[in-house]
Amino acid sequence: MTGGRLHPFTLLAIAGTLPALAWILPAPAGGAVTTAVALVLTLTPGASPGLTGSGSSPGWRPGLVVLRTAVLTAAPFWLFLLLLHDVPSTIAIGLRLTTMIASVVWVGALLPPGRLVEAMVAAGWGVTAAYLFAAALSAVPLLKARAQRIVDAQRCRGLSPRGGVGRRLRALRALALPLVLSVLHEVDERALALETRGFVPGARRTPLAPPRDATAERAGRWLLLVGCAAALAWRLAWRG
Amino acid sequence: MARLTLERVSFWYPAMGRPALRDVSLAAAPGEVIALVGNVGAGASTLLLVAADLAPRVVGGRLEGRVKGEGGRGIVLPTPWTQLSGMAFTVWDEVAFGPANLGWPRERIAGAVDRSLAALDIGALAARDPATLSGGELQRVVIAGIVAMEPALLLLDEPTAELDPEATRLVWRLVRALAGDGCSVVVATSDLDALPELADRIVWMEDGAVRRIGAPALLAEQSLWEAGLATTVADVWRTARLGAPYPLTVAQAERRWRQ
Amino acid sequence: MAAVNAELRFEHVSFSYGTVPALRDVSFALAPGERAALLGRNGAGKSTLLRLVTGLLHPAEGSVSVGDWETRGRPPESLARRVGSVFQHADQQLFARSLRDDVAFGPRALGHGAAEVARRVDTALAALELSAQAAEHPYDLPPAFRKLATLAGALALEPAVLVLDEPTAGLDRPLRARVARALADRAAAGVVVLVATHDLAFAAEVLERGLVLDRGRLAGDAPLAALLTSSGRLAPLGLAPPTGAALSAALDLPGRPVRQRDVANTLARVAAARGPV
Repeated sequence: MTGGRLHPFTLLAIAGTLPALAWILPAPAGGAVTTAVALVLTLTPGASPGLTGSGSSPGWRPGLVVLRTAVLTAAPFWLFLLLLHDVPSTIAIGLRLTTMIASVVWVGALLPPGRLVEAMVAAGWGVTAAYLFAAALSAVPLLKARAQRIVDAQRCRGLSPRGGVGRRLRALRALALPLVLSVLHEVDERALALETRGFVPGARRTPLAPPRDATAERAGRWLLLVGCAAALAWRLAWRG
Repeated sequence: MARLTLERVSFWYPAMGRPALRDVSLAAAPGEVIALVGNVGAGASTLLLVAADLAPRVVGGRLEGRVKGEGGRGIVLPTPWTQLSGMAFTVWDEVAFGPANLGWPRERIAGAVDRSLAALDIGALAARDPATLSGGELQRVVIAGIVAMEPALLLLDEPTAELDPEATRLVWRLVRALAGDGCSVVVATSDLDALPELADRIVWMEDGAVRRIGAPALLAEQSLWEAGLATTVADVWRTARLGAPYPLTVAQAERRWRQ
Repeated sequence: MAAVNAELRFEHVSFSYGTVPALRDVSFALAPGERAALLGRNGAGKSTLLRLVTGLLHPAEGSVSVGDWETRGRPPESLARRVGSVFQHADQQLFARSLRDDVAFGPRALGHGAAEVARRVDTALAALELSAQAAEHPYDLPPAFRKLATLAGALALEPAVLVLDEPTAGLDRPLRARVARALADRAAAGVVVLVATHDLAFAAEVLERGLVLDRGRLAGDAPLAALLTSSGRLAPLGLAPPTGAALSAALDLPGRPVRQRDVANTLARVAAARGPV
């Protein structure tokens, strides 16, 4: 069974439960368990190339890409934590952050925004709310592709990624600014394009392929919710 | 019975002192193809936005005069990559995006999408991820997405900018076919050589105002020639100081030459 | 005014994306001042070839050299001293507060002094007739002008080789003419110009040699005028003779000129010889 088959709400429920448990359960054991689970989840088959942002790169290999993205995204945070905290705190907070990051990366890789919108629309949500959610998820691979193009273009203009801190900061400016500016500049055009295609508040959209929601999955989601609540209650009781 | 009427329309973008459109009057009938020609900044894109009911409603700004349109309108903007929905994972879903938002039943959507994909010759791309397409493929997908909504008024802003000559010919043939089915089309393009066969009327815009409206023969007239807006053949004919009537296309030139 | 005049040479170059071959045994050489069009269907390998010149990609087999520099072993930022390039979506690279500042980015990154940078920027802007817009914010300009701005950025590097990918897409006639003039001027100064394009009318005006790619192989290397008047050779590429060349052929003009001005002059001569039309 691939992760892509699960209902979007189930994926979101799992991706929400793990970080919640990471923060609720006592550190570091709780965090370690949830981090382990989250990282193992990233190995779930079903990640789509388009979502991991590596769809156009040659020799793309499924499976490890998501794990690698999660680890690479989390790594800088560990560095910062080590600078600011002592080792036990670093581990405790680091594990919680890693769970969160891994969960977000996992759901982002597995859940095509279109599918999420379909699920939300089928469940009765308005199109605009659904879009906000979906746009946040789809932004990452698009930005990655554009960022790569910008890096290539600036390097061809002589920008060197090597050198001292000052040089690297200036280099960052030449890479980050165009990304932000070009995206902001396009916001207006994107809004116009969506309008003209009927994507307006109040539109009654026909779901093209509403994801199947099995009873087992619905029950599972409720269980996760109950489980979190129970864990919270236990933790508070245990503390107090 | 006009599909689109602009009566003495002037338009200012937000916070701009100079009007982008000045006193423009234009009417488009069903089945008619109107081409807007002019240089960058002439106001063609703005006119299309006003006709699409996006300016000033979504864009902001101020409008004077009257705009009347009937039936559904769809506009294809000039840069394809900003027009992706961001929510479709395949080209098929991307093209279906518009019709789905209109609330059509699924069979109707499927029919419209399949016809659209065939018309733009992108059936082979149906399962591809839109984010991996080249500029030319993307432009055709965007056009297909609007055509699938079956608008009564189709507005196109440089729809062939990213296309190779083969795909360009395909799009122009499609425009004529849609007009044949009763669609009104207003297209801004710099592909002047295609216009004698494509357009029923030419609208020459400069500085936000309409300077001339007329049949494609306009593309050989002195004033347009001097503004750099004649077809290649007409330009060559005039530069060679040969007399009127000026041929607009290679075929016309050949006929005249052999007389 | 190129600092170095260099030859662009491809010797038995092959390149694959993973297991998918993109270029196979491609060899050709462009001397300083030569202007070539890179023709071929989408997917034939044009963009790959251009990226190999800039050092964004390195050949799996064979070698790409710009003068005495082999691209293998050199990163793009080093090759930027000799190679100026503009690819699709180039306007996403713009970020400075003014056109002038953005065009200055390249020369500054190469380490030139303020006076030299200013000179290069002014020359590049003037070449594309953008001097009047020098103080504008790039995003305040229409998309067509932003495209010209990226070309100005490449010109400001004062490279020995210019590689461009569809530089006229989205430009109207007057702006295409500006690009043509700027490229002709650079070539006259000894710069190698290689342009991937399907805008054959533009190619007719300013380019002289045609390199044809077909499924990764170099299927043709001929004078462009010969290619442009032969629908037989263009049809398999999904191309057709540009209007000027088509007119030339239809009216059977002697010499089969392809440049618009040449067609007009030849037409005038033949018409005068024939008597009133």
